[in-house]
Formats: sequence, structure tokens, C-alpha cells
Amino acid sequence: MKDFRIDREPRGSVQLIRLSGSLDMYSFPRLEEQLNTIFQEKQYYVVLDCRDLDYIGSAGLGALIGFAKQAREHNGDVRLLNVPDRIYKIIELLGFTKVLQVHNTEEDAVASFQAR
Amino acid sequence: MDETPKGISVGSVGNRVYVRVVGRGTFQNSQPLRKFALEKIDQGQEEFIVDLGQCQGMDSTFLGVLAGIGLRLRQTGRASTVHVINISPRNLELLQTLGLDRLFAINSDTSQLPAEPDCRKLADTDLTQVTHPLDKDETTDLMIEAHDNLVRADERNASRFKELARFLRDAVERRRKNGDGEK
Repeated sequence: MKDFRIDREPRGSVQLIRLSGSLDMYSFPRLEEQLNTIFQEKQYYVVLDCRDLDYIGSAGLGALIGFAKQAREHNGDVRLLNVPDRIYKIIELLGFTKVLQVHNTEEDAVASFQAR
Repeated sequence: MDETPKGISVGSVGNRVYVRVVGRGTFQNSQPLRKFALEKIDQGQEEFIVDLGQCQGMDSTFLGVLAGIGLRLRQTGRASTVHVINISPRNLELLQTLGLDRLFAINSDTSQLPAEPDCRKLADTDLTQVTHPLDKDETTDLMIEAHDNLVRADERNASRFKELARFLRDAVERRRKNGDGEK
């Protein structure tokens, strides 16, 4: 099992967060801390790059909806990028893709905020 | 390299049920365990021994299913319990965070426990070899029940899972409005 990693790479006003490893109940507090820090900086355009994510738990998905709601209250959003097929199938099945935008390229994800 | 096949294996001897989790326990493989456990409790079996020695991690739904087993055993009024054995520090921390260490007996000393009976693997619990696709409505219902169990076990979990619970209940509401759902 890979260690969970978070790397923040701002793209202008969009905060790109690269995630790798397993996003489970054990690792989620680290992402929570990162997102809280970003919101405290009044940055509300967030893209989570999931390319190297090998697992995401149910509670983590639920919490992401909460963060997306917080961001939307400030005219921002939390969006997903490069979601691996095996994870996408699950989040689509459960309906999470109806409330969390998913993008396939970094350009699209970043541009989706600039088009607002 | 550990070659033990992943999945959830079960066996029973006398009034004891043995459950061994290899790999992850998640909402994707919780349903077979839930069905098996409820059947065993209805048959009068009183003690569950859950071996997490090879469990790489558990999500909240899986933990909620385990909590449901503990709560159901408690309801029987018999001196029933869930013993968790061989737990890693990381998984123990998860149980403690959710208050489940007060519902389960965490056994670091397994010398008093009976030997493991012959076990069989429950179908569709190896996440790398699932043969049936998950059913959306069944999975949503399972997740709601599991998270309700976590709140029943420790009310502090209500705020922890409120967004997920709201999302899942909205999904059920949409299903009701749309008749058979959105499959």
C-alpha cells in the first residue's frame, strides 16, 4: 500500500492538489487540514488530481461534498481530475458524480473555473 | 510477499463465529458479511471473533457493518459480543476514533480464544475479483444503515458523517420520487 501524499501546485487562482496513495479515514484528516488551510487563505477554486489515488473511502467522498459546498458558498468549488476508472465506476454508481464535477484534463479543470 | 487470498473468510464452531479480513474491508465487500452475520445471529450464535491481522484498512461503511453486528448481539440480551483480534495500531486508532472500542472487546491476548475453525471465503469479498456488479440501491441502503449504526454506537459520529448521510438520504429521496430509481 502506497503512503498517502498531498502536493499543492497553484495554477493562478486555482489550487491544484495532487493526491497519491489511499484516501481513507486514516489519511483524510491530512487532506481536510490542507483544504481548511486553502479556504482560510480565501482560495475557493480547488482541483483534486486523483491520477495516483488507488483508493477512496465512503466517508472521504461524503466529506468532499461538504468541502465542495463550503467552496460554493464563496462562489468556488472542489472538482475532481483524472479519476481512475475503478474509482470513477464506484463514485458514478453511488451518484457522487452528480454533485462533484469530474474533469479528464488539467487544462479543462483549470479552465472550468476561468470560464465562470 | 504475503500470498493469502484477499477477501472475507468465515467459519463457525459451537456458538462462535470466526471472521477473517484479508486486504481491505469497504462498502464494496460489506454486504456479504452483513448478510452472513445476521443469519448467524438469528440462528442463535452469540460470539463473533473478527481477525484483523491481515486487514489493510477499513472504511466507515465496513466499520458500521461491524458495529451493526455488535449492536444486534447486544439487543439479543445474551452475554454476546464481538471480539476483535490481531488489530494493527492504525486500525485500532480508527476504531477508537469512532468509539467502537467501547462496543467491541479488543483482545490483544488471544491465548484464551478458541482455535480458528475451517473457514470459507464469502463470495464477492475479494475486491480484485468481484463477479457481480454492486447494486446502487442496495449499496446506498447498506451505507445508510452502516452509518446509522456508527451513530447509534457513538453519537459523536453524527457530525462526522453528516454530509455523507445527507447525500445518501437525498439519493433515497430521489429514488422514491422517481419510482424504481435511477439505475
